[in-house]
Amino acid sequence: MYLSLKTQKKLMPLLFLIPGLLFFAIFQIYPLLKGFQMSFLDWQIMPGKVSEFVGLDNYARAFNDVVFGRAFKNTLIYTLVTVPGQMIIAMIVAILINSLPKGKTLFRALYYIPVITSWVIVSLLIRYFFQSPNGIVNYFLVEVFHLVEKPLPWLRDPALAFVPILILGIWKGIGWSMVIYLAALAGVPKELEEASAMDGANGWQNFWHITMPLISPTIVFTMVMLLIGGFNVFISVYLITGGGPRQMTEVMLSYAYHQAFDFLDFGYGAALSYLMAALIITLSFLQIKLLRKPQEIY
Amino acid sequence: MKKRSYLFIALSAIIALSMLLAACTPTAPSVSEQEPQQPAQSNDSSSSSVEKEAAPVTISFWHAYNADVEAVYLEETLIPEFEAANPDVKVESVLVPYDQFRRKLLIALSGGTAPDLARVDIIWVPELADQGALANLEEVIPDFATYSEQFLPGPLSTNLYNGKHFGLPLDTNTRVMVYNKDMFAAAGIEKAPETMAELLTACEKIKTLGDDKFCFADGGTYAWAVNPWIWSFGGDVTDESITTSTGVFNGANTVAAYQFLKDNIENGYMHPGMLGGGVDSWGGFGQDQIAMLLEGPWFPPLFGGQFPDKEYGMTLMPAGDGGSVSVVGGEDIVMFQQSDKKDAATKFMKYLLSEETQLKLVSVGQMPVLKSAVESDTIKNHEFFGIFLEQLTTAKARTPHPRWSKIEEIMTNAGSAILNGEVSVKVGLDDAVSQIDPLLPIE
Repeated sequence: MYLSLKTQKKLMPLLFLIPGLLFFAIFQIYPLLKGFQMSFLDWQIMPGKVSEFVGLDNYARAFNDVVFGRAFKNTLIYTLVTVPGQMIIAMIVAILINSLPKGKTLFRALYYIPVITSWVIVSLLIRYFFQSPNGIVNYFLVEVFHLVEKPLPWLRDPALAFVPILILGIWKGIGWSMVIYLAALAGVPKELEEASAMDGANGWQNFWHITMPLISPTIVFTMVMLLIGGFNVFISVYLITGGGPRQMTEVMLSYAYHQAFDFLDFGYGAALSYLMAALIITLSFLQIKLLRKPQEIY
Repeated sequence: MKKRSYLFIALSAIIALSMLLAACTPTAPSVSEQEPQQPAQSNDSSSSSVEKEAAPVTISFWHAYNADVEAVYLEETLIPEFEAANPDVKVESVLVPYDQFRRKLLIALSGGTAPDLARVDIIWVPELADQGALANLEEVIPDFATYSEQFLPGPLSTNLYNGKHFGLPLDTNTRVMVYNKDMFAAAGIEKAPETMAELLTACEKIKTLGDDKFCFADGGTYAWAVNPWIWSFGGDVTDESITTSTGVFNGANTVAAYQFLKDNIENGYMHPGMLGGGVDSWGGFGQDQIAMLLEGPWFPPLFGGQFPDKEYGMTLMPAGDGGSVSVVGGEDIVMFQQSDKKDAATKFMKYLLSEETQLKLVSVGQMPVLKSAVESDTIKNHEFFGIFLEQLTTAKARTPHPRWSKIEEIMTNAGSAILNGEVSVKVGLDDAVSQIDPLLPIE
């Protein structure tokens, strides 16, 4: 078969795209659609059994589920604490590293190590550190710094059990935002800073009026990405507390997973995931709409 | 516009293709048509000559044998021996850690890629049978009625669902009290406690050794941990017919059991790890921080590997108003409805359940389930099985129910709330009962 040069030129890019798209379709799009279908069924895991159509029952059930409400609240808390936590600390670290006369690469690498470390390993380590009564954190609190009288029951007390998860979430994410902020800071023209310094701006004014506006698109970008990441918190909760004690630290994903894989309630689990997806899409959309301003740099 | 429509066509084609591909999952025999599988007469001499010519059939066997000792023995001794005797069957051993086992199995089942055989916790059999995942062995094994007579009745009964056997027992166990001889000597305890009152006296003495010394530790408030206490106090989770938990799980005896655990955590006798967060109980036991643990027959070989010089004794669960009642554990071997190699799987199953193999498995701490094996000299003269067999005479099994996972979660949550002092014992158990009762009827 002969194809005209024109057709060949049109076909070529598609051919190159196919492997990636195929992969994307099979492992992303298909499960996505399948999950959507499942969320309207009383899904039966055994092949051959009939899954009954239940309409919006699975979604309705979520709104009357106390534990899901708690999971939603916990996810929100996680996001509201870890996203600003990561961004502020990452910004401070980025500015400090940026002002270093030398050794930038070393510190950048050091702060980036947590990002590339496996979630599983650090989660298990954190769980180990926060053991009670004989964990290393309790040892420092009681024996070294004398901050508390008795060892704290970290993973047993619903009020305390979420703290290690938050700490891990912030610590592990700093490096990622930092690297992006460093790149953005490197793009801030030196002349502007010099000019404003000449005009008598102090360090803080310089940062607030010159640097911040210039890197604000980057900040919005990291915020959107971190927010999505925050809502997707799962491995650390699953491994550190398992949602316990008494499902008090359950987050949306861990609860959806629990319903699907422990109780075989895949329809309900899928509905919970879709509720979360709807939330994330809405939030991300609003963020980009509200926060991204047209940039006029020069 | 042109470009866009191309992309759109390409994308939709790919999506359609991916759906087609995904629809091509291996076709498993559907559950609805549970035809009696008539196994071919594999012992028939005329057909066996033909079978030998053919390539061997490979069956897969999932298990959660521990990787250090048991799985090694299975893979390096038992399977080669079986394959030598049965050249027409190859066995692929798949070790799936216990805590992931149930989930991985369910995923495999839903994808139609279940193994042929699996060694599963006795407590999972009703649920798997309820899902229609398991082959009814009364149909697979023609002489099931006579074949099954050789098993101990207790372990055999864990395979019953709707009056049919969906598995056979593979090994059994229970928990007995192991005690730290050094700590007992240091605290001046002369003999192991036999009753709850003696246990309390012993704990009082252990506590004098130091604030960071604990009399007893366990990993949580799940049934495996708390049920020995509930039963020994005369309580239970449901009534005998498994129709209600009212008046049983919130009855006076169960209340007394939880009150006992709560008091002992509050006064520091029991390690607070039971409330959640876990505890390295073997490490604590080995390093003289924990004096007593409830452990199964895997404890001596495995703990001995970690702490070879540690001296410990074993005794029965301390007796309360309900006597000395521990929890029956163990595993059943089940065959999956999806398996298309039921004959070969039956051969391997029967091999594992033969008296010879059962006695061999004793060397890695597996307690046999055959009447003949239990009465054999190997067991009678075994260095530590005696105490477990004695405990098994009174031990009880956890509620065999397809919704057991949910029931157990309610129990675990209630236990944690009670022992943490967030609700009173009675209120916590009343609340649990109101959640468990609606789960019990099987439609």
